[in-house]
Amino acid sequence: MQKAIFTLMERCVACKSCEIACAVAHSQSGILATAQFEKPLPRSRVRITSAGAYSFASRCVHCEDAACIAACPTGAMHREAKTGVVAVDQDRCIGCWMCVVTCPFGAVTADPGTGKALKCDLCAVRTAKGLGPACVDACPTGAMVYATPDELAGMRRSATAMASVGAVEEIEESVALWRNLKGGRAI
Amino acid sequence: MSDLVIVGNGPAAVAAIERFRSLDSRSRVTVVSQEEVPFYSPCPLAEYVEGSVPRERLFLRPASFYDDNGVEFLGGATAVELHRGVVVISKAGELHSLAWHKLLVATGAVAARPPVDGIEGTAGVFALKTLSDAEAIMAQARRARRAVVIGSGFIGLEAAQALRRLGLDVTVLEALDQVLPQMLDADLAEIVRSRLEENGVKVLCAALARAIESERGAVRGVRLDAGVLPADLVIIATGVRPDLGWLAGSGVATDVGVLVDASMATSVPGIWAAGDVAQAPAWDGRQRLIPTWPNAVSMGRIAGGSMAGGESRHSGTDVVNVVRVFGMAVASFGERSNDEPHDFATGGARRRVRIREGVISNGQFIGDISGSGALLEMMRKGVDVRRLGGVIARPGVGPAWSLPRPPKPGRHAA
Repeated sequence: MQKAIFTLMERCVACKSCEIACAVAHSQSGILATAQFEKPLPRSRVRITSAGAYSFASRCVHCEDAACIAACPTGAMHREAKTGVVAVDQDRCIGCWMCVVTCPFGAVTADPGTGKALKCDLCAVRTAKGLGPACVDACPTGAMVYATPDELAGMRRSATAMASVGAVEEIEESVALWRNLKGGRAI
Repeated sequence: MSDLVIVGNGPAAVAAIERFRSLDSRSRVTVVSQEEVPFYSPCPLAEYVEGSVPRERLFLRPASFYDDNGVEFLGGATAVELHRGVVVISKAGELHSLAWHKLLVATGAVAARPPVDGIEGTAGVFALKTLSDAEAIMAQARRARRAVVIGSGFIGLEAAQALRRLGLDVTVLEALDQVLPQMLDADLAEIVRSRLEENGVKVLCAALARAIESERGAVRGVRLDAGVLPADLVIIATGVRPDLGWLAGSGVATDVGVLVDASMATSVPGIWAAGDVAQAPAWDGRQRLIPTWPNAVSMGRIAGGSMAGGESRHSGTDVVNVVRVFGMAVASFGERSNDEPHDFATGGARRRVRIREGVISNGQFIGDISGSGALLEMMRKGVDVRRLGGVIARPGVGPAWSLPRPPKPGRHAA
């Protein structure tokens, strides 16, 4: 099973570290200090979107039946055979924006700098080196997770288990406290 | 005898072949193609004319595509009659009959011919629909100085832009009183018109071409009510329509296109249709003819699955379009109406979303088209967007849409 990026909405504090890390990872220099002066300006492929009291790192989810691939009339939008990543061949893209108007997630945007389609490439360069996607590695609250669905389910299970154990410890503490109080001893 | 005969060789045909072959590797498949060249994408033809897309980039499959998929390719062959079990084709002036067990009608559409005298048979008058059209335009553009484009839909504007970039003097004629009449409201169309004019394209609205003026068989100008517009290159871009003549004796039910259900089946068992020729249920369930690339591909896939015996159903075609006018993106979905409008304007960007009974019915975007696909999806799903109010037209409104932010507490609030 391929790894994907999952967002744990309850942890996102909309700090936009992911946006900056994404833009820097896709810049020419790869360094924040110089990336901000590059032309064309490197752009983020992930965007923090607020949803009521929550916020969410909105980006390409690499759909199984991707509308953008069906809509692309130049063959630029394609699925990488090895990784399953939906990617844009920059040479073939003519910036017709069919992908932008058909993506149900609003995750493909028109890059005004290059005139080509811009979207998450799941950090192919970084993952090939064994690193996580830049946005995930930059997230200070662990709101983004790069894992297979099975791994995510495992993490969820262990979090539930930890929460249960934590609850048991709390009960034990309360019981001990009650006994102590009953025994008339000070805590 | 071929198990499956596909009449047509555009995106619907190719998508159907690929889906069909993924499910059925044994049936014998034959493609009947009017053009000799293998499958190519017609969408970047204007870019090919202007020189920004090279010829080889139009061909989206390797040369071995037909062999790889075990498909017999009959190029330069036109289907002229369809009967039960047999299709009559004309190739190099000779008629042949081809037996079929299953048949896909994927013949696409041809450029509509408006009632203008002298359109037929005048040298220098073209459509921009096929690769050979594009190459004929390129040859003529090398010696032409003045071009007239009849029609201001997206193909007309793409053609005008390409010819302008080649250095020609270009005039666009539109019979209605605005450009892009199917995509945009009149006030937004005015922005597009300015963009064209700023880039040196002349635009004449409410201007009906009456006749093509010619001299010794070559175009010399376009006659309007107001006089003659000199031209040595004319492009007809007044839309497309399916050519259904060859289906007359087949019993296949037609309207403006071939009527199909969500599985792309026609009224005759064993015959399916997909692409620009097919009038399929749209996202709202109404059978409509919406000739766009994404619809052709999605219909072709469904037809391929159905023909292989699967249970595939289309979720409904989309009315969505996008065009670039000298670098400015213009997109729309749904149909123009007088529904409640919500507007957003900033810098050069204009966005308008219309709402009917709480649900998005139409979107029009100029300059900033980001997230328009998400709005389209909300329209398709019938999401009630009333609680978003005017925010709906703002960029960035997506599935996790923005709610209006509460005003920031002022540090020096009274």
